[in-house]
Amino acid sequence: MAKPAYEKAITTKYIGTPLKLHDEKPAWVIESPRAMTHIHTYGLLTPFFEGLTKGKLMATKCVNPKCPQGSTWLPPRADCPDCYERMKWVKVPSVGTIYSFTLVDYAGIGIEMKTPYWQIDVAIKGVDTIFKGYLESGKPEIGMKVKAKFRTEKPTHTILDVCWVPA
Amino acid sequence: MITFGKGNLRVPKWSKRVFMVAAGCSPFRKYFPEYKLEELVMMGYKMMLEDNNLKLSPLEIKDSIQFAVYGQFADHFQDQLLCEAKIHDYLGLDPLYNVGIKTGGATGGTSILMGAQAIASGYANCCLVAGWERMDEVDTRTGNFYISTAACKDFETRMGRIYSSYYAPMANRFAWAYGLSDQVRAKIAIKNRHYATMNPNAQQPGDHTEEEVLSSRMSAYPLRFLECCAMTAGSASVLLCDEEMAYKLSDHPVEVFICGGSHTLRVADRRPMDIPLLPNEKPGMYDEFLKKNPRWPGFESFLAARFAAYLIYRMAGIKEPIEELDLVELHDAFTISDVQTYGDIGLRPYGQEVDYVESGDAYYGGKCPSNLSGGLLGTMHAVGATGIWQAAEVFWQLQNRYDYIHGDPKWWKRAGKKKPKNWKSLQVKDPKQGLWVSHAGVGSHVTVGILRKAW
Repeated sequence: MAKPAYEKAITTKYIGTPLKLHDEKPAWVIESPRAMTHIHTYGLLTPFFEGLTKGKLMATKCVNPKCPQGSTWLPPRADCPDCYERMKWVKVPSVGTIYSFTLVDYAGIGIEMKTPYWQIDVAIKGVDTIFKGYLESGKPEIGMKVKAKFRTEKPTHTILDVCWVPA
Repeated sequence: MITFGKGNLRVPKWSKRVFMVAAGCSPFRKYFPEYKLEELVMMGYKMMLEDNNLKLSPLEIKDSIQFAVYGQFADHFQDQLLCEAKIHDYLGLDPLYNVGIKTGGATGGTSILMGAQAIASGYANCCLVAGWERMDEVDTRTGNFYISTAACKDFETRMGRIYSSYYAPMANRFAWAYGLSDQVRAKIAIKNRHYATMNPNAQQPGDHTEEEVLSSRMSAYPLRFLECCAMTAGSASVLLCDEEMAYKLSDHPVEVFICGGSHTLRVADRRPMDIPLLPNEKPGMYDEFLKKNPRWPGFESFLAARFAAYLIYRMAGIKEPIEELDLVELHDAFTISDVQTYGDIGLRPYGQEVDYVESGDAYYGGKCPSNLSGGLLGTMHAVGATGIWQAAEVFWQLQNRYDYIHGDPKWWKRAGKKKPKNWKSLQVKDPKQGLWVSHAGVGSHVTVGILRKAW
């Protein structure tokens, strides 16, 4: 039977990839590459993201009669911050009005939309919050009516599965 | 929370008075390969020990410190967990306890708040507060993405991957609601970048025209490149003391008051609420305003800043901010965040923010000049250091030491620059007290601090 490693004399070999010198002057600067994947759960918000792939905009509503606010949340959250009760899923209208907007021209690395594109914030009747998204076509202005469009085929499994078009 | 309980509104009160006696910083640059991070922190720390007319020697002060608070925004940028331990050891301060603080862009302000709490509680009578950021290990667009992970990663980050795209909708809404023009935003960029030309440590000083600002590259409409701060490598430090130690160390200590406020990271989730009134505001004064703008704070204002201001003016006994403050340092990460804050901290009533600039009050020689340091737009945003450096700039003004800190050729030499021929003093005449705002997220964490001359 082979000896376990901790009982052996070992000769160590370097198996890494030598780093590139990015600069030599005024000081040595090395390049240290990175590539990684994070495993991220949507937790109790899974019905929201799954809903997008089925063409539904799902919000959470606090139905506790004793809650001081009873708000409807989109983005949804599972637990009510005003009374700490678990909230209920409700389907909200897929239409709204533009509350504000910007043109994203210079974006950070990894951007998934071709720049420039219009990022918009949408006010939806019956929802207490303002929902951020992007306009798939057209030019936004504050107060403009828009309707939601869903990526039901080849979903991205992200918030980008919903966007907006002029209503 | 959109309604407050009585207990929520208790005004903070130190158990012991808190003082600032010294401050220092490194030069600020986009790319700083000459020095390792710990070396950059040492540079600001040594300036703090050696260049503040303290009555004890640097090593005697080192022997007096009991606690250290360190501000660093993002482990992503440093690529080093427990960076605080490395810095603390490098400054030769083991085994004194130290703590790392992270509240985004407000990290510096929060670090001072935590240091002040250590003094006020009696845990320490001499406390180091230092902060840093090294944002030059990644290229700019990767840096933009890192910073955008300080937006909600499920619902916001993917919408822009750059922080300007979270402020820009606020700018458009603010312009729509209160009539803010591109020209006024440009004036702020021109003003602060110009003041930065007097600061030897400034990263992006410059004398710009309105046309240059408004024709600079678009980041996220309407915010252009010259309206946005840059990424910085650098450090800042201040020394906090109790009353006895403060006067032992300095003949010119400055008293410290600081409070904080918070709001949801997602601007989307900011539900409308009543406006907490500052001491100079009267009940009912916003009735008409709220008819037109029923969603306060909406996208136009920051509850976190207003709440911090609500507390700090009461804590420091200030009734009329614009009359009683001699200067302010605001968080001008973007021109729009600067404008939004004028209403939050009561330099003007809500809806009239633009007048603070248009009236001339915001300029050197005006009633209450802002960002004579050059601000984040002109001088630096090494995030973990920013709120500490802003306090340092107010501190030096109160000590009447603007000229030494900004005008002495040795600092220009340290920064590898030549003092410009047209350098002029921005020392405010005999200032008594100043305010600084340290601000995170799209207004998720805000501290407002007041420094008051105490000799």
